Amino acid sequence: MSTSTELPPVEAAPAAAAVPVPLETRVAAQDFLIEEAHLLDQRRFPEWYALFTDDVVYVAPVRNTRRVGNSGVVEEIGHFDENKASLGLRVRKLGTDVGWAEDPPSITRRFITNVKVEWGDHPDELRVRSYLLLFRSRGDRGQYDLLSAERNDVLRSDASGFRIARRHVLLDQVSLGTKNLAIFL
Amino acid sequence: METPTSTSERLLATVLPEDGQIPAFVHTDPDVYRLEHQRLWNRVWLFVAHESEIPSPGDFVVRDMGERNVIVARGDDGEIRVFLNSCRHRGMRLAVEDEGSGPSWRCSYHGFTFRNNGTFLGAPYQRAAYVEGLDRDSLRLLEATSDSYRGMVFATWNPHPEPLTDFLGGMAWYLDILIGRAEFEVVGAPQRWVVPTAWKLPAENFASDAYHTATTHAFLAKLGLVSGVDFGRLGYHVDVGQGHGLGIGIQDEGPWYPQELRPEYERNLTPDQLALMDRIKNFHGNVFPNLSFLIPNVVEIAGHRVTGMTVRLWQPIGPDSIQAWSWHLVEKGAPQWWKELGRKTYVQTFGSSGMFEQDDTENWEAQTRNSSATLNFEEPVMLHYQMGLGRQPLSGFPGPGTVYDGKFSEAAARSFYRRWLDLVVGDK
Ligand code: FES
Ligand SMILES: [Fe+2]
Repeated sequence: MSTSTELPPVEAAPAAAAVPVPLETRVAAQDFLIEEAHLLDQRRFPEWYALFTDDVVYVAPVRNTRRVGNSGVVEEIGHFDENKASLGLRVRKLGTDVGWAEDPPSITRRFITNVKVEWGDHPDELRVRSYLLLFRSRGDRGQYDLLSAERNDVLRSDASGFRIARRHVLLDQVSLGTKNLAIFL
Repeated sequence: METPTSTSERLLATVLPEDGQIPAFVHTDPDVYRLEHQRLWNRVWLFVAHESEIPSPGDFVVRDMGERNVIVARGDDGEIRVFLNSCRHRGMRLAVEDEGSGPSWRCSYHGFTFRNNGTFLGAPYQRAAYVEGLDRDSLRLLEATSDSYRGMVFATWNPHPEPLTDFLGGMAWYLDILIGRAEFEVVGAPQRWVVPTAWKLPAENFASDAYHTATTHAFLAKLGLVSGVDFGRLGYHVDVGQGHGLGIGIQDEGPWYPQELRPEYERNLTPDQLALMDRIKNFHGNVFPNLSFLIPNVVEIAGHRVTGMTVRLWQPIGPDSIQAWSWHLVEKGAPQWWKELGRKTYVQTFGSSGMFEQDDTENWEAQTRNSSATLNFEEPVMLHYQMGLGRQPLSGFPGPGTVYDGKFSEAAARSFYRRWLDLVVGDK
């Protein structure tokens, strides 16, 4: 840790990517995330599930309170550690009549903001960072949980549009303030 | 507020474990909760960490014992100690992060510094500020008694504790199978989340309740992942004694663990323990009061039979609320496929998002709310804990405790409440 009180020098801006992501592509990526959130809030889980590539990696690392200079993100283990098969199992569970954690269902509303779109590692991929604010209410007494997170996705495009090939969700709590994650992020 | 004596009398008159009768109020009554702080959390051994979380001298993690925040530290001398996370000057928190490493803690209020073995090191401007002198010895950090069993670190604030192995009693034999069979390590850090439940409900569930799985976790059968509805029945129910309890699901398709680890298991387990382990399909239990463990059902993934184990604390943060701490551990010397598939199995089935655990939290929350609603009833609302009452135990089972054939029983829950009652109404 630096003991100097001087501010560190501002890093030189990286050379601008050769070709900026076209506005049209950026809007399309943002629309995709908005529509995805809508499918989840409407509980259209099979349609939502179809938005993932077969090789999808879907993770949400645990966080820790650490002093400045340490990351506090524990990538070795997460609140989610999913692939296509396990996401499918979760969706199938929600489709039974014994998925008690979400039957009766939570009422959810997902707010997707601060969307930033960059080129990915492959020509057909985009790296998309977004902020998620998830409102979840269950039952009476006006209670609700709020979950806030940063999501870093890899969107892969094919003839039918975008698919999510990777989702990394960084939840903004070291101890989650919701009794379970029977919902998707 | 009631006096402790009147609360004790009320408990003695209504908590009747041997009759299978437990009043609902014990879960959320604030007077009972206060009594637990006076007589339970202060006196028993509590799990605080696994040794692998603090592997090197200077490493520490911050944990809770009841509602007391503590530092679990490996000193420069390699010894593990447990300190109240409170500066001896004016009680500021000393370690402000969940984990870290270093030779000492420097309080961020006035700057008192303490070595990682608990001794007072110094204060800023000490000669000018404390012209009269400072008694270093009296400024030693408050330390709990601590000890380890098979890498699990326990601590207690009891000034005259029984030895840890006595406290664990017969449970030690089963913990050997769970976590002593090899050198284990924590993967990453514990998941933590807040559940609106009284702490005893998840504890008794893990100790004793295999019965709920067929209904609460019925999605398993619905999705064809298990056959039949009584998949939780085959095996053993163990009332270990001293409030500890567990259930062992049995399969006879042969051992499921990686063969590479077999020699290590054989070194650490007796033939009886090894033979039982070879038949485990699932394994759940609770070390009194609030340390639960689980080997979820062995499943087949990607051509391998795997499972992913967890230990967890139900940490009370109020009469009707807990912070759940859930660790995933794995054999240090295991092959990569076992580590990776085991971790996924754990996260997908238990823990904050686990497909099983999410339904459990729904039950515990509703039970807690209903318990609170009974607090002002004139007559206590009695809950039913009578399954297996008077049933003959098995003889000849190799492990300790009172063992019943078949997992459906509430014997271990009755013992949990007996031990709990003896402690909270005890005369100390
Ligand atoms: S409270 Fe810690 S130095 Fe004063
Ligand atoms: Fe359960």
